[in-house]
Amino acid sequence: MNVAVNGRGLPAGFEDLEKYVAYWGEKTSQERWQRRSAASMEDIRAFYDDVLGRADDIITYLDPYPLDDLPEEAAQLSCLLFALVNCSMAVELHGEPRAIFSPFPHGVRILKGVSPLG
Amino acid sequence: MNDRNPAFGAGRATNYTETAGLSTGPVPMEPYRSPEFYALEQDRIFRRAWLLLAREEEIPTPGDFVRKEIEVCNASVILVRDKEGQVRAFHNVCSHRGNQVVVAESGKARAFTCRYHQWSYATDGRLLGIPDEPSFFNVDKKNCGLSSIACEVWEGWVFINLAKEPEVGLQEYLGPMAEAFSGIHYINTANPMVVQADLDCNWKVVSDAFSEAYHIPAIHPQTIGATFSSGDNPYAHLLDAKIFGPHRFVSMYGNSGYAPGPNSKVEKLAYSMIDAGSVIAAAQGAEVMKYLEHPAVNPTRSKDWAMDVLHVWPNMHIDFGWGGFWTHHFWPLSHNRTRHEIRFYLPKATTMRERFQQEAYVARVSEVLLEDLSNVARTQRGLESGAKDFMQLQDNEVLIRANIDTVQKWVKAPTLKDALAAS
Repeated sequence: MNVAVNGRGLPAGFEDLEKYVAYWGEKTSQERWQRRSAASMEDIRAFYDDVLGRADDIITYLDPYPLDDLPEEAAQLSCLLFALVNCSMAVELHGEPRAIFSPFPHGVRILKGVSPLG
Repeated sequence: MNDRNPAFGAGRATNYTETAGLSTGPVPMEPYRSPEFYALEQDRIFRRAWLLLAREEEIPTPGDFVRKEIEVCNASVILVRDKEGQVRAFHNVCSHRGNQVVVAESGKARAFTCRYHQWSYATDGRLLGIPDEPSFFNVDKKNCGLSSIACEVWEGWVFINLAKEPEVGLQEYLGPMAEAFSGIHYINTANPMVVQADLDCNWKVVSDAFSEAYHIPAIHPQTIGATFSSGDNPYAHLLDAKIFGPHRFVSMYGNSGYAPGPNSKVEKLAYSMIDAGSVIAAAQGAEVMKYLEHPAVNPTRSKDWAMDVLHVWPNMHIDFGWGGFWTHHFWPLSHNRTRHEIRFYLPKATTMRERFQQEAYVARVSEVLLEDLSNVARTQRGLESGAKDFMQLQDNEVLIRANIDTVQKWVKAPTLKDALAAS
C-alpha cells in the first residue's frame, strides 16, 4: 500500500497548479499543517483560491482511483487537495495563518494521520 | 420555544456538585504546582491505580507487542499477545544487567532479544537463552524471566497495575462504572489517528481543560464554539453529570441547528460529500447506530448532544461523539510537564470523497487541540506565580472539582482499598 509521491508532476490538465507542488504538495497531514502555519496569509489565500476554483475538477479526476493504489500524479494531486483543506482553517476560520494566541512552533504533532497520505 | 431546558438558561438550575457529595467552596491550587505533591501522586496514585494503557486491537494476534512508557513511575512496559492469545504485560528490563530489552515502539516477535548481550525471552516472559551460559554461576533461570505486571482487559481496554501484588482486581477497581459502561459497541478500533503534545503544565491542568465545556464559546469561537453552544444554551451547560467513585462522567450539549457559514466553502464541500447511496456508508451507518444505542452514550437521549467525557481514573478520558469515540491520555512527566496523547478512532476511507471529509475532520480537530493546548502553559504559569491559592469552580466544572477531591483523598489514603473507599 505504498503510495509514492515524487514531488513533481501533476496529471495532465492541472498544469496551472504545478507551481504549488514544491511548497504545498506535502504527503502527510502534519507536514501540510506545518507548511500552512509557516506561510503568509497572501500565499495561503492565493493557493486556497486557485485550488478551490479547481476542486470539482480535482475530485472528478480522482474519483475513479482506488485509494490504496493511487498512481504517482494522482497521489500528488490528492496532496494539494488535502493542503486546500488545511488552508481553509486559516481562510475560513481564523482569518490568519494560525490559531490566535498559539505559539509557532508549537509542540502539538500529528504522529499518525489517516491513510493514505495522512 | 416553550419547553426550554431550564438547565441551559441564566442562573444555576443544576446541582451536580452537591449531588456528588462535594463541597462548593474554593478548591486549592497547591496540588497543581507543588513538586512535593507530585511525588505523593506518583506513589499513591500512579503506583497503586489500574492504568488504562491501550486498546487490545493494538496487539491483535500472537506475537504482536507494543512498548508503552510510563515516566511517572519510571517504567517501560511491554504489552504482548502471547501464543495462547492472552494479553500480558512485562517490565521492559533485562534480567542480566537491567537494560531495556524492547526498543521498537511496536512490532511482532516470536521472542524478545536484548541487544546488549542477546539474552532472549519468550512472549510469555520466560527466559529462553543466555549466550555463554556456562560462564555464569548457576543462574536461577526460572526466576530470571521478564518481570510480569498485573494486566487485565475490560471491554477491549488493556489495564495494568504496577503494584507487585495489586490489592484489588480490575473489576473491583472499576466498580459500578464498569456495569454502566459495559456492552458499548466500540467501532473503528484499529489504527487510530494519533496526536501528541509535550506540554508545560501539570497533568491535571490539561485534564481539566478537557473536562468542561464552559471554555468552548470563549477559546474556540470559530472552530467549534457554534456547535457546543447556542442562543438557548450560551454557556454550554451540561446535559448530565455522574460520579462513579473515582471515575466520572459528563454529557455535553451540542447545537443540532449548526450549519457551515456562507464563507465556509471548503467546509461546505466536505459536508456535501456524504455519499448517501453508498453501501459502505450504509454499513458504517449501521455500526454507528448500534454504538449510539447504548444507554450510557448520550444518556439523556438528546438531539442537542455533542459528546460525553468518561474520565477513567486517574489519567485518561474516553470521549463519545456522534460518529464514534476518541481517547485522551495525560501522562505526567514532572509536576509541571505532561505528555498528552489523543487517539481518534476513525473508519478507513474507501473513496476520495470520504478521504477528503476525513482530512477536513483532521484539520479542524488539530486546530481545536491547538487552541486548548496553547492555553495550558499560560494557566500553569499563573498557578505557579503564587498570586492565588484557590480556584473558584462552577457547577458545570464538577469534573474538575471531583478530580481534585479524589486526588487529595488518594494521596492521604494508606492503601488502595482505603483510597477506593474514600472516593
